[in-house]
Amino acid sequence: MKIIMKFGGTSLGSADKVRNVSKIVKDYSVNNQIILVASALSGVTNSLVRLSELVKTSNSEKIVNELEKLSELHTNISKNSIKDPNIENEVLESISSILDELKRLLEGIISLGEITPRSRDRIISFGERLSVLVVTGALKDIGINAKKFTGAEAGIVTDEEYGEANPLMSITKMKISKTLQPLLSKGIVPVVTGFMAATQTGDITTLGRGGSDFTATILGAAISADEVWICTDVNGMMTTDPKIMPNARTIPQLSYSEALEMTVFGAKALHPRALEPAQENKISVRVKNTFNLSGSDTLISNDQSIVRGKVAKSVALIKDVAMVNIGGAGMVGKPGIAAKVFDTFAREGINILMISQSVSEANISLVIRRNHLEKAVNTLEISLLGRGFVNSVNAEDDVGVIAVVGAGMQGSQGVAARVFNALAKKGINIRMIAQGSSELNISIVIKEKNCENAVKAIHEEFEMDTP
Amino acid sequence: MRLILIGYGVVAQSLTKILTVRKQEILERHGMHPRVVAIVDKGGLALNTKGLDLERVESIKKKYGTVASIPEYGRPGKPAQDIIGSLDAEVVIEATPTNLETGEPGTSHIEEALKAGKHVITVNKGPLALALPALTEMATYNGVHLRFSGTVGGGTPILDFGRNCLSFDRLLSIEGILNGSTNYMLTEMEKHGSTFEEALNEAQIKGYAEADPSLDVDGLDAAAKLTIMANWFTDKDVTLKDISVEGIRDIKPEDLKEASKRGFAIKLIGRIDKKMKVGPTELKTSDPLCIGGTLNAVKFHSEFAGDEIIIGKGAGGPETASSILRDLLNIREKM
Repeated sequence: MKIIMKFGGTSLGSADKVRNVSKIVKDYSVNNQIILVASALSGVTNSLVRLSELVKTSNSEKIVNELEKLSELHTNISKNSIKDPNIENEVLESISSILDELKRLLEGIISLGEITPRSRDRIISFGERLSVLVVTGALKDIGINAKKFTGAEAGIVTDEEYGEANPLMSITKMKISKTLQPLLSKGIVPVVTGFMAATQTGDITTLGRGGSDFTATILGAAISADEVWICTDVNGMMTTDPKIMPNARTIPQLSYSEALEMTVFGAKALHPRALEPAQENKISVRVKNTFNLSGSDTLISNDQSIVRGKVAKSVALIKDVAMVNIGGAGMVGKPGIAAKVFDTFAREGINILMISQSVSEANISLVIRRNHLEKAVNTLEISLLGRGFVNSVNAEDDVGVIAVVGAGMQGSQGVAARVFNALAKKGINIRMIAQGSSELNISIVIKEKNCENAVKAIHEEFEMDTP
Repeated sequence: MRLILIGYGVVAQSLTKILTVRKQEILERHGMHPRVVAIVDKGGLALNTKGLDLERVESIKKKYGTVASIPEYGRPGKPAQDIIGSLDAEVVIEATPTNLETGEPGTSHIEEALKAGKHVITVNKGPLALALPALTEMATYNGVHLRFSGTVGGGTPILDFGRNCLSFDRLLSIEGILNGSTNYMLTEMEKHGSTFEEALNEAQIKGYAEADPSLDVDGLDAAAKLTIMANWFTDKDVTLKDISVEGIRDIKPEDLKEASKRGFAIKLIGRIDKKMKVGPTELKTSDPLCIGGTLNAVKFHSEFAGDEIIIGKGAGGPETASSILRDLLNIREKM
């Protein structure tokens, strides 16, 4: 099989963990062709983000401090995960030369006195450049013919949306067919930096949050991999948060659309954008636990399997949200109010999670992230109040969203009724409801204090703990 | 409109000739004033930002073998890479020889031009057969046009014709004779009972086949054209490796004779339906697609309009050069 294996930062957080990853690659490379995608080591990207903030203040003491910590971390893990002194020296030298490059870059930005999205991308991509050095060294140390690549060297070409770049897939496919593809049949394991790519003219870009997952599925699509493995620290995607429901279970199979719904609603194992190249090219994605690789996992594929009677597959809880209600009798039959609301939010960069409007049109309810609430209320008041249509903008910041997901809900009657009944039995009041016409999910807003009980009630009602 | 011309072989020389002879007409009828600001060949390049004197360039090329020998404007030894991105021009015309293994140097030339925001016209099949989806994406991303009507059918506007047939109709299949030299050989073998080797020899003497005939007789040239058509007419992203290819080396005169008795002829046919395939195929001699000699023919079979066939010369310097002008006009209209 051709497998892309992506290891996140938590899978690479210590020398033992790096050795564990190299052993996994060694075991699987006997019968498979493997491309490894590595994230930055645990905590490193955050440190680089701090550095990109620090350059604005030119606080050289703190900058030196951060750089020393980075050097120490990578040096220690390399020393403890690589035995062969030649390989170790080579890796240590490369680490120090890359950190020198970073230092020079930071100095340059300080003297320029401005940091652009483009230079920020260059800074935060250093984490992956360092981690592939360590991982490639550890692989070579146990006799694997590994070769490191930056995403740019591998041939991932993106547009110029620095910070959240999008791949130009056809160009990327062509480039990768020349760079990585020929190595696979020679038994070489390419180790590619996650998260980082470049524009057509070679300027470094990053792929945004969850970027390493995105790198993995882009590579998977480019070489028509049999599977893309997202190796993380949980047992695949679960029916719900096991901290709330101890008998939560790994879901063995999901369709792309189901997985997309779940990732949008906060399933941490995978980033929604990462599913795009997989879905488009029908590449299967497996979410696995690095520390329990043979344990249960989730296969995301084109197959929309529906177990009889299992209409809902998972229930997710999203906290840190708030609800905004816009009301007024003047809104009835008045076109353009909703457009005005969305436009206001778009201008302020506020993302809307849920929308609901009654047929009477006297009220629009919206759910947004809680940290946007004050900005949202104030800008809405400025643009809507006192103009004769809207007479109230209210906010509730003590709410949470419960999302029930499953392809089996399509065309299946009574699902919503079962959800409402389960909540009613526990005396939980529903504040707002939304269901997309895809019928893949029902989202409801309730008071935050009831959230955990609601998750439990729904998990029990749909018997999610049994296969 | 400023043009950079890369590759100065038969086709490109025919182009500069047409540009010289028809200068007035092109200006009056189409409002276009093409200036060739640079020409690159193996020996180097000739460059004049105000536009080269094409008659002079032609005579220098004939006399010394390279345009770089032109006094004042010649730059011997300078490669195309030095000017594609940096020299101001609106359109780059890629006319270097086809290489179906690496696609180079054409692919790099085209990439460089698209990245620099220049429109590209190519008559080189190599880059398209190996990387058309990528090059199309690059053109779209950079907001420029990539045109290549001369790569299929030479001067015969097969790609444009097909697009017109298919607007508002659904394509069910395309099949055609896409390679003139093999069609000539098969016609000879059928008429005179000659063997494959004899027919090949004959074709080489008449100048219909190259010294290295493998691209033609092994079906690769036809497969490259089929790749271009598949990308152009369908929404599939296709490269040469997606096509199953069989040539005509194993065909015996007896096979042709036997087929002919039953009212059939054997032709090297490229076909796109659910699959994509190039190989020897029996055609009814009464089929309008069943043409002889060096001609090319393509049949579009669509859901409502039925069969539509276009027949014409598949190669030749002036013919292919005319397709470049057609592309140029097309780009001009969209500018």
